[in-house]
Amino acid sequence: MGALYHAAPATAEPPTLRYGLARVAGGYVATSPSRPPFGPASLGDALAFLEWRATEDLLNGEAEGAIFLHAAGAELGARLVLIVGDSGAGKSTLVAQLMVRGHRLLGDDVVRFATTERVFSAVGRSVKLDPNTLSRMPLIAGKCAMGVIGTLLAAGCYYVSPAAIRRSWQASPGRPGAVLLLDAGRRGGPGRVERTSEGEAAVYVTQKVLGGAPAFGAATRKDATVQILDGLVDVAAYRASGDDPAAVAEALEREVAA
Amino acid sequence: MTVMGTAARPVARPDLILRRVGSEWVLYDAAREKAHVLNQTAAVIWTYCDGTFERSAIADAIAREVPGIEPTRIKDDIDDVLRRFADEGLLR
Repeated sequence: MGALYHAAPATAEPPTLRYGLARVAGGYVATSPSRPPFGPASLGDALAFLEWRATEDLLNGEAEGAIFLHAAGAELGARLVLIVGDSGAGKSTLVAQLMVRGHRLLGDDVVRFATTERVFSAVGRSVKLDPNTLSRMPLIAGKCAMGVIGTLLAAGCYYVSPAAIRRSWQASPGRPGAVLLLDAGRRGGPGRVERTSEGEAAVYVTQKVLGGAPAFGAATRKDATVQILDGLVDVAAYRASGDDPAAVAEALEREVAA
Repeated sequence: MTVMGTAARPVARPDLILRRVGSEWVLYDAAREKAHVLNQTAAVIWTYCDGTFERSAIADAIAREVPGIEPTRIKDDIDDVLRRFADEGLLR
């Protein structure tokens, strides 16, 4: 059950229970503040529902001074690497590779950006991995041996909590030293990374805003774009290609260390 | 002489925002929701587009700041950059 708490930051405050999971005849019922109860459903589907609702509630503007980006990331040595790419480009697979190689994560699919401090930080969410990807990662596959493949939302995938792999999984908040672009169209060949335009990479990141507070209007979008650019002032940019995410992870480690 | 499509003393649109990212610069046009990536030279040229510098004065100023570049090449670069600024609607 500890793996379920990856979304909860460490705090001495008493918990506020906003989401619920109850066992009933025929399965589990999940409750959230912004949707009718979901279920009875399987445990996997009920948890997938809760994670979806928690993320949506976050994106719909409940966090003051933060916006959220469709991105992933990890902490390689002392440098944060922000990973961006369209859905299906391989962010989750690369993040999982980096996780098993001992790196802490900036998150998978959703990354928080603090608009005042101009720093990026992790959002607790599971990493969605399909069985084919897992077969190449024995450490995570072992953890999933008793898991259940979901049928809701990320159908056919395991929802792997980073907290189940590593107790201290969150990267320290900060400004990235690198941005990695993943492009599903650049598959084929060995995994590698190469330098690319920092300006173009930064502009691409600004286009990945998912939501945040306050509600997004034109003025807010302008502010957010400038704030994100401020947060990327010292990045190097890389573009990944190839079919081997483990090789991409290794190449990224080499480049960032250099 | 003026470069086709540019004023003798180019003036940058005041609503555009310039930010450094790594070794490059991003010029953000919020009104058109468009961002332009500039190299170091183009970014420096942009800062001289305040209506007080003629093209030749910009070239002289940049020649002082970036030693080792052929003056004629600087003028050609400035022509190219100013034409692009004008084509993209970044100048007044």
